[in-house]
Amino acid sequence: MTTEGGVQYSKIAEIKGPLVIVDDVENAAFDELVEIQTTDGERRLGKVLEVGNGKAIVQVFEGTTGLSISGTNAKFVGKVMEMPVSKEVLGRVFDGLGRPKDGLPDPIADQFIDINGEPMNPEQREYPKDFIQTGVSVIDGMITLVRGQKLPIFSGSGMSHNLLAAQIARQASVVGTQDDFAVVFAAIGVQYSEAEYFRRSLEESGALKRSVLFLNTADDPAIERIITPRVALTVAEYLAFELGMHVLVILTDMTNYAEALREISAAREEVPGRKGYPGYLYTDLSTIYERAGKLNGRKGSVTQVPILSMPSDDITHPIPDLTGYITEGQVVLGRDLFRQGVYPPINILMSLSRLMKDGIGEGSTRADHGEISNQVYDAYSRAQEVRALAGIVGKAGLTEIDLKYMDVGDVFEKEFLTQATDENRTIEETLGVLWKIVSKLPKNEITKIKDKFIEQYYQEE
Amino acid sequence: MASNSSLEQAIDKILVKTEKEILSDLEKTGSDSKNILDNALPKLQQEYDKIISDGKKEADKIEKQIVGSSDIELRNKQLLLLEEAVDKVFSKALDQIANVDRNDDYSNLIKTLLKESTNVLGTSEITVNTNTKDKDIVQSMLSQFPGSELGSDSIDCLGGIIVKSKDGSMTFDNTIDAKIERLKPLIRKEIASKFGVGN
Amino acid sequence: MAAQGRIVWVSGPAVRADGMSDAKMYETVTVGNSKLVGEVIRLTGDVAFIQVYESTSGLKPGEPVIGTGNPLSVLLGPGIIGQLYDGIQRPLRELSKASGSFIGRGITTTPVDMTKKYHFVPTVSNGDEVSAGNVIGTVQETDLIEHSIMVPPDHPGGKISNIVAEGDYDLETELALSEKDGQTIPLKMYHRWPVRKPRPYKNRYDPTVPLLTGQRVIDTFFPIAKGGTGSIPGAFGTGKTVTLHQIAKWADSQVVVYIGCGERGNEMTEVLVEFPHLKDPRSGKPLMDRTVLVANTSNMPVAAREASIYTGVTIAEYYRDMGKDVVLVADSTSRWAEALREMSGRLEEMPAEEGYPSYLASRLAEFYERAGRVRAAGSPDRDGSVTLVGAVSPSGGDFTEPVTTHTMRFIKTFWALDAKLAYSRHYPSINWMNSYSGYLADIAKWWGENINEDWLSLRSEAYGVLQREDTLKEIVRLLGPEALPDEEKLILEVARMVKIGLLQQNSFDDVDTYCSPEKQYKLLKLLVDFYKKGQQALKEGASLSDIREMSVVTLLLKARMDVKDDEMPKLDKLENDMQEQFKSITGVKVSN
Repeated sequence: MTTEGGVQYSKIAEIKGPLVIVDDVENAAFDELVEIQTTDGERRLGKVLEVGNGKAIVQVFEGTTGLSISGTNAKFVGKVMEMPVSKEVLGRVFDGLGRPKDGLPDPIADQFIDINGEPMNPEQREYPKDFIQTGVSVIDGMITLVRGQKLPIFSGSGMSHNLLAAQIARQASVVGTQDDFAVVFAAIGVQYSEAEYFRRSLEESGALKRSVLFLNTADDPAIERIITPRVALTVAEYLAFELGMHVLVILTDMTNYAEALREISAAREEVPGRKGYPGYLYTDLSTIYERAGKLNGRKGSVTQVPILSMPSDDITHPIPDLTGYITEGQVVLGRDLFRQGVYPPINILMSLSRLMKDGIGEGSTRADHGEISNQVYDAYSRAQEVRALAGIVGKAGLTEIDLKYMDVGDVFEKEFLTQATDENRTIEETLGVLWKIVSKLPKNEITKIKDKFIEQYYQEE
Repeated sequence: MASNSSLEQAIDKILVKTEKEILSDLEKTGSDSKNILDNALPKLQQEYDKIISDGKKEADKIEKQIVGSSDIELRNKQLLLLEEAVDKVFSKALDQIANVDRNDDYSNLIKTLLKESTNVLGTSEITVNTNTKDKDIVQSMLSQFPGSELGSDSIDCLGGIIVKSKDGSMTFDNTIDAKIERLKPLIRKEIASKFGVGN
Repeated sequence: MAAQGRIVWVSGPAVRADGMSDAKMYETVTVGNSKLVGEVIRLTGDVAFIQVYESTSGLKPGEPVIGTGNPLSVLLGPGIIGQLYDGIQRPLRELSKASGSFIGRGITTTPVDMTKKYHFVPTVSNGDEVSAGNVIGTVQETDLIEHSIMVPPDHPGGKISNIVAEGDYDLETELALSEKDGQTIPLKMYHRWPVRKPRPYKNRYDPTVPLLTGQRVIDTFFPIAKGGTGSIPGAFGTGKTVTLHQIAKWADSQVVVYIGCGERGNEMTEVLVEFPHLKDPRSGKPLMDRTVLVANTSNMPVAAREASIYTGVTIAEYYRDMGKDVVLVADSTSRWAEALREMSGRLEEMPAEEGYPSYLASRLAEFYERAGRVRAAGSPDRDGSVTLVGAVSPSGGDFTEPVTTHTMRFIKTFWALDAKLAYSRHYPSINWMNSYSGYLADIAKWWGENINEDWLSLRSEAYGVLQREDTLKEIVRLLGPEALPDEEKLILEVARMVKIGLLQQNSFDDVDTYCSPEKQYKLLKLLVDFYKKGQQALKEGASLSDIREMSVVTLLLKARMDVKDDEMPKLDKLENDMQEQFKSITGVKVSN
């Protein structure tokens, strides 16, 4: 905290979109926190986006609705935005800017931390490789999540991503040491009912006391959404790297975040990139997603499961596209499966966990895990081709082996993918079903698995 | 009778054979049913276990929920109590500050505040406002700050000053209230640690 | 005189300062009270436009900006190998000593340990005339790297005096003096070189030697030459990073420079964790002993991302000048282009396509032009090469976007990654129909001389099968496979075998991860033979299902994993078995 802050400027040159442009500013820093005050005493928060030549461009988190040129003052606070953190944030509910929303006082801070965080030094990162058992077969078996990973769920409007995220949050909490697990949940412009579903789900599993909730719901100010994931991650980093907890961060819905960013960019009249999103969307998203990880010599970890809804289910839309380039894989929900009533409706062919290979195998799951999952990917992909072919030539036009692949597809979807929202499967159960699927095929079709595993696990008819 | 006996023999034979068949059938059924039973038992056991474990799961869930929420409620009550205590200490401290003697030390404080304000605003052309109580002290100090004047309006504060540039574009709130407000999070931490709370 | 100005404007990584009329273009400057590193990228009147390589959060107008008088340069000398640098050659290990797990600001360090002693063996004597580029001696940098100490490229040359005897010296020791026209210049183990200026060389050659990567789809189908250029574009999830890691691991070069440019932090960590344990298949030494990493991850300051490419390529050229083959892998040039775009936007330049600056194409051309096989300047004669492989991350996987299209103009090998292949877990997901190599003819001679003369014709035949399959697939899609005659069904079958048995490669499998050129050739030959014998067998009355059910089929598909590089006789046996089985299904002797 610098002592120089605190000057209030009243010459407002322009108000447009979420921006307030202040004139005759002598003493302001880039990124500085700003308090906007109206004549009737209302206070809003903002930050400096650009400063120089006597001008400061301030982005107002709560929006500029109701602000006037003559009745507005801007106080430059002399520090960047900080989040007060302590162990007592657990079990608390905050708004999208990190202010208490549960009627309780501000947390008594152990530290005040810059919400933007600092980039982790890649040299100091610990490569993530600890298997997280989520109890969801398709994730554990095929898209394995590890501690310190960032694995988003790409969904579409109305699909069951929240059910899935809540199930992961509930069930992942019961493996390993219960003591050092925490959930940080950030609702970014989602409906109140969705946020409430999540809260209740945490409560029912008794995890609420190990959770921190940040809620910016659909009716809250849009620009605030720029801050919500950052305060959430600031708390997560503190819990992980100062208190040694394993923190699962759920950010939903990142599409609303990107839209808020686009709104600011448009107001600044920046040259837009694709679909009107700013050219720096990738870099900006990375300052959120890259805050997942583990660090050498520290106990905790930050694992991120961001959720985003793909506009028109389009995976090439800039938001899922740029997210996929940053995150370590993606879990893609499929509209077809969802329509068929499959839960979780995960399209495994489009899904991937980049860190899976290091989190599985001997010593963590089982030695055959990698090969069996490769074979099932391969077989399921063949099954899809055969299904498409059957659509043209009819089932009668299929060869015997084609029919076996059809079988594989059915067993995969009915017995492996489909799972109840409160069903918690062990990794052994999951691998068992995978072998059941592969055993539908004759042995000479199995090209991705070593013979010793086939001998050991292949289930003869 | 020979024919009779051979008939009997034949009947006997058939009887023996049938008996054997029946016996072996019975035997088979017995072993089958035993097999079925044997197979069914673990399944039953599993079912039974599942019912028990489901019930237990449900009970665990409820227990967790109760324990979890009562933990939180208890903690939240503590937080509120603590805040109450902090507030008490705070308002006491504020009272003391408000009623502090307006002596030379206080005059020096006003001087420091004025200096700080002109520095921060980067101009000496300033209007200074203060509360009714401190008006005279401030007025007496202003002679040392050419370009400054006392504002006509009094403000409501514990002490200290609000300084404006004469063109009205900049304001610096250097009241004691504002200073305390800025430091409040740190002061709260301090007080809380005296109650043995916090890290 | 160094420029001294004041900040007048700050917007993210872009800063304007006035009072800078003494500043030069591309001069490095220190910015603000916390002494951040920046570079002048435009001068208008006395206002300098500066890109800042560190976070500018908290920076204020009025703070000082001071010129250093030097352009952005790297330090070149022993100690570079094995390092992990940020985009402006600050060692991340040293940064962590200063600021812990997260990257702090305003930290200054030297790129290499200046006090470390190396055993110097002089190769010139007092009185020798040297010129720019001459080797004056060598030191052993790592087990794998003999490091030549060279007269800097911008040195006027002169007569050597005061050369030290063989022995252990640190980097600051004056190893010798050079004298010319009464001017004496000390020669040390290191010198500096501006990153935006290509290092000079004597001659340039055509690339004719393949860069062997051990990846079959690359070496056999779409090869790259030493000193060549290649690009690997692909949507996310297509395995770009894994393929680049494979090249960095197994390429038969002496030095690898790996640039993580705007990519994931964990990927650099993975290299750091993995490479010290992986052995170079040729020398048996840890791969880290030949690798330099430059990491400017996506969340690190964007301006330093722009610089990281130049930092990396300058280091690559330095080792090239010692007569080494160097591979530079840049992941990803799209993020570099985005950094250009961001700075250009803040400069309020007129944008071209998709907001990229109009000079995007020329910058890409300049970068790829720094590849090449050359005769280094000075004596003795040294031939070295820099091979450039750049990843491209096209938005939405769309290859018509500006970075991909411009890149295609300047590179000769194009490995097009395909999301559909990746979704069906065909890795590496290099699409054989959309990829190409401009080096096939140039390097065919090498394969002919070193492996077998019929390499190119076998490759063409296998590729022909894949091409025909592509056409047939259309028919199958419309009519089903039964509509095809057996000869064409055989093509589908063989194409499937080529895909599974040759094109696919499991980088996580101990055996399959690297494939020697001998084994590549043999697998290729077996598959082409299988195709020919299959055609023959069909003519002689065998049915397609006879061919499909031969037990060698599965063996052929698994040979890439089952047969190690040093077990080539197993493949000979497979060849025999194949002949026998073809004989048995036709009942006639199949001609060879």
